[in-house]
Amino acid sequence: MEIDAVTLGLFLASAVRLSGPLILASLGELISERAGVFNIGLEGIMLIGAFAGAATMVLTGSPMLGVAAGVGGGVASAAILATAVVIMRADQVVTGIGFNLLALGTTSLLRQLLLAGPTESVSVRAVSVYKIPVLSTWPIVGRGLFSQSPLLYGGVVAGLLLWLMFRYTRLGLLVRAAGEGATAADAAGLSVTAIRFGAMLATGAMTGLGGAYLAIVASGGVFVDDITAGRGYLSIAIAIFGRWNPIWVVLTSILFGCADALQYQGQSIGLNISPALLLMFPFVLALVAWVAIGRSATGPSDLGRPFIRSAR
Amino acid sequence: MKTDVATDAFPPPISWRARLLDLGGGGLRLGIVLATFAVSLILVLGILAALGVAPGRGLSVFVMGAVGSQRAFADTLVFMAPRLLVALGAIVALRCGQFNLGGEGQLQVGAIGAILPATMLPPSLGWLLLPLSCLCAAAFGALWALIPAVLKLWRGADEIIVTLMLNFIGIYLVKYLVQGLLQPRGSEFNMSAKVADGAILPVLVPGTRLHAGVILALLAAAVVWFLLYHTAYGIRLRATGLSPRAAQVQRLPVARLLVSSMAISGAIGGLAGATEVLGVQYRLIDGFSTNIGFDGLAIAYLGSLEPLATVLVALYFGAISSGTLALQSVLSIPGALSDIMTGLPIVILACVHGVLLLKGRPLWKSTR
Repeated sequence: MEIDAVTLGLFLASAVRLSGPLILASLGELISERAGVFNIGLEGIMLIGAFAGAATMVLTGSPMLGVAAGVGGGVASAAILATAVVIMRADQVVTGIGFNLLALGTTSLLRQLLLAGPTESVSVRAVSVYKIPVLSTWPIVGRGLFSQSPLLYGGVVAGLLLWLMFRYTRLGLLVRAAGEGATAADAAGLSVTAIRFGAMLATGAMTGLGGAYLAIVASGGVFVDDITAGRGYLSIAIAIFGRWNPIWVVLTSILFGCADALQYQGQSIGLNISPALLLMFPFVLALVAWVAIGRSATGPSDLGRPFIRSAR
Repeated sequence: MKTDVATDAFPPPISWRARLLDLGGGGLRLGIVLATFAVSLILVLGILAALGVAPGRGLSVFVMGAVGSQRAFADTLVFMAPRLLVALGAIVALRCGQFNLGGEGQLQVGAIGAILPATMLPPSLGWLLLPLSCLCAAAFGALWALIPAVLKLWRGADEIIVTLMLNFIGIYLVKYLVQGLLQPRGSEFNMSAKVADGAILPVLVPGTRLHAGVILALLAAAVVWFLLYHTAYGIRLRATGLSPRAAQVQRLPVARLLVSSMAISGAIGGLAGATEVLGVQYRLIDGFSTNIGFDGLAIAYLGSLEPLATVLVALYFGAISSGTLALQSVLSIPGALSDIMTGLPIVILACVHGVLLLKGRPLWKSTR
């Protein structure tokens, strides 16, 4: 089937819009992994951010408040998770899995209690579209790249800022020190615990925003149980495929956004494939990416190790 | 380092009474796990109170739903079976140092493996279909678990991420198959045809749902226990899990152990899928597993990766499933409560373990 420019433009717009949650969450994961915390709980944080965002928006009628609540929910849940894995040194993988179950149960329970009745629809335009003057009128790519949610632009800018931070600032160096050599950082008088806790809070803010984006911008404020459907886990993989470099992480997220968009736009660009296979596609792409990247993906040396002074 | 491994892999014989009383080992461990369950149960009763259910009433409905009658207890055992199998599979991989988080995917693919002989082969094969379906399920699960093992050896891929991705691929694969190839002609429902009578796991107690898969799961626990503690293979496997480097120095075939432990792990996970399809649903249905894979992982961890202790934890998790079902039907409490009840104890126990590690007195050796 011939694919015309309009269809391609629509696909691009959808792909870039759906890369938003992935950009925000994978940058969040990047921060905590750079600090040495392997954060499997990302899926749960994202889910809580999505629920807090959608519920607040529906109950107050303000998408702005919804986005703020998403960030708040993300930070609060990340603080709980960080208390377990950073302060109490709980196993990061096991705690993350338990945390995700808790988040799934809690958000589904609260949805049935708070959002069960009929709700008034709220216009989400305020946070979903900002047309960048001039650029957004470009043919084909204009609408896809420059008529998106301000949150998406924020995510891309955050990627650039993180890149600058890790490369040029003292703060970036401190975070990297906690992840690359926790014992050395501790010997130099830094508090590994404080750095990792702070990094987790930043992860919570970014990932909660990603969740709110997913529920408000990408789904129009409708929260369904398990709305993240593995996007948190996918974001962990993206942080690795982007080799912990914020710029690459943003670009990889856009690639996976394209894969995600196929499930909505696949039919219109002429792909006559079962929807179930299109849903599967991003995860298959992640496996292919592993084969392609292979051994070159080595993360921060102290990634996943709880820091214990005097440990070998 | 080397001596550490030697003493851990070959512990000196201790009498069972000394072991029970040894506060540094099993006794304290058991106490802490029980306390963890108690604390999370109290927290859940608090949630029920917030929902307007008197804690006493909530508790009695929960307990009656789990063990209150023959039928209720049978349900608890039926819920236990696939969870126990996934947990046993996870144990084999975790004790070898492989973070197999792919129990859910292996269960899904195992279910596909079970449904193929059970619906495609001629029903005239009779009871032969049951072992064939179970073997096929185990083989599918093993193959699914070999993917992360091979990617790890070949490309250095992290098995945590790969198994997580394979979970979703497995779930969507089932969705795809029951909407297409496995869907009976003319059917509009997202499910396969009914399995042949010969492939059904027989019901043990008439009038209940108790099926032979429960016995299969308990047998598997004994087999895994024997494999880990009474075979040379089990010692090599555990030694590799405790310290891969030391195992390499001792010339153990680390790569082969990694691959075989993942294959065994996946095969047991695949059997879990078979018990659901051949014992409960009798069809392959889209979304048939409600997070059984992660439940199994939680059970393995709460059972401190010991196959026999895991049976008790799995029984409790089975009770959570049937108990919350009763809360749902009697008091209309959302079923999501069961995810909270399973998630809470893992997080609490992981925290307790972490704090003890921080104080230099770990409850058990980490497998990483």
